[in-house]
Amino acid sequence: MSVLVRLLRGIWSLMLGLGVTLKNLFRRPVTQTYPHQKPELSAAFRSAIALVNFPASGSHDCVACMQCVNICPSFCIKVEGDKPEGLKRKRATVFEVDYALCSLCGLCIDVCPTNTLKYSKTYDDVGYRRDQFVYDLLTPFRAGEAAWRERARVAAVEAAQPASAGPAAAAGEPEVGR
Amino acid sequence: MAEIWGEPAPQPLAGNGDDTYYLNMGPQHPSMHGVLRLLLHLRGEEILEAEPVIGYAHRAHEKMAENRNYLMFLPNSSRVDYLSGMIYNLAYCQAMERLLGIEVPERAEHIRVIVSELNRISSHLLWFGTFLLDLGGVTPFLYAFDDREEILTILERVTGSRLTYSYGRFGGVTQDVDALFVEQTLAFVARLRGRMPDYHALVSDNVIFRHRCEGVGLIDQATALRYGVTGPCLRACGVPYDLRRAEPYGIYSRFDFEVPTQPAGDIFARYLVRLAEMEQSCRIIEQAVAALPAGPIMPEKQKKRFKPEVGESYFAVESARGHFGIYIVSDGSELPLRLKLRTPSFANLSAVAAVLKGTMIADTVAILGSVDVVLPEVDR
Repeated sequence: MSVLVRLLRGIWSLMLGLGVTLKNLFRRPVTQTYPHQKPELSAAFRSAIALVNFPASGSHDCVACMQCVNICPSFCIKVEGDKPEGLKRKRATVFEVDYALCSLCGLCIDVCPTNTLKYSKTYDDVGYRRDQFVYDLLTPFRAGEAAWRERARVAAVEAAQPASAGPAAAAGEPEVGR
Repeated sequence: MAEIWGEPAPQPLAGNGDDTYYLNMGPQHPSMHGVLRLLLHLRGEEILEAEPVIGYAHRAHEKMAENRNYLMFLPNSSRVDYLSGMIYNLAYCQAMERLLGIEVPERAEHIRVIVSELNRISSHLLWFGTFLLDLGGVTPFLYAFDDREEILTILERVTGSRLTYSYGRFGGVTQDVDALFVEQTLAFVARLRGRMPDYHALVSDNVIFRHRCEGVGLIDQATALRYGVTGPCLRACGVPYDLRRAEPYGIYSRFDFEVPTQPAGDIFARYLVRLAEMEQSCRIIEQAVAALPAGPIMPEKQKKRFKPEVGESYFAVESARGHFGIYIVSDGSELPLRLKLRTPSFANLSAVAAVLKGTMIADTVAILGSVDVVLPEVDR
């Protein structure tokens, strides 16, 4: 008797399990067919860092303070800067990130004094070589760099006329898209 | 291992003549959770001895900590155990807060509890799925990952990443949560509760599963205590030890939850404890969400450089796998003098080696899977 009861109980337990499967068979699929459906990225999504384009100044606001370089645990940021003529603050001339090394911890973004760093939203970068992931963050700003410097110089000269003041170009309140 | 270290090759055990069969299970084995090599000494199908050979995922986290300042170790913390990265990340922050004497705002404390418990559930769900996959059940794996995906989506919206969250900072958390997070979290809790009967019908009552798990892989209380086994594995031996209750950290003392235990100490007991723990985590989440106060998520004065005074601090949390401790020694500089990580998987794996002795080789995968070791955490 006990053998038969155990056998029937065992079969019944398998039936119960199949019932769960059957229930799910008629549910809508939850998978996303990736290349055809693109994922919706959250606002906080972290990808390689990028420089913010401030509408007020029409450019980024990296002052080459090296704080991000110093805090980076992966040592993947390279920044160089010069001091544009007539300005008090420095200006980045090189800003490279080796995304292959980046661990996306966000310490550089926390530490940035001018809030000019943000996460970009790319997620599908591929490459055959490691050096393809060394991103030059200044690329979008190269074309307007000379004009920015000229504007900043003029603004600095104008600001210096009535009283000594800081560079006006960087004074606009930026919108930081983080 | 013997050939690397120049040790004599393993000698056949006394009494089994020359018919001892040595089998390398792993490091690349489909049902090894990570890169673990088990050197099995076999007589027929019986395991005479099991030697875990570890170190394949050694990344020298402790040494790395000595070469970078306290903040720079933050991303490492969640990579020690990538399945409960949030708990580890926040544990490191809490250890540093103890060392630096930083007060954490109430809201940040509540957020920490919510995200930690979500992370614990996601870790248990992943264990549930992969453990059953080891035993040959593919269906529960898909359901578990469906549920886990919900958690990852919720956490991704807040933290920006899905696995290695660098969410905590010394004194608080990086991003505030909004009403949608609360709504999604409560919806998930309701969803998981709705799923539990399905899981029990599909797995817990399944006769094949029961036959493979009941009475197999027994870790008795004495062995567990001797090897320092913690977490669900210890609670499955009938010891109601949970750091959230035994040594409450953060604001855990305010919540009403149970410490689920099972007396048997076998695979099935460990399975039941983990499933019960998910329910308890749901309860904690509900209470924390209900009590979530408004306010800041970081202390008002934020420092950029951290120089703790000369001293040391030990901080332990209950991770998804057990007692995770961080011991920091400060010499007053910006770099830690020593940072020691006490990881639960290491102790649990040691006990597995003892438990495997005398069992059948077909049960190896089930026993190892039931203990839920995470190899990067063993090696660190």
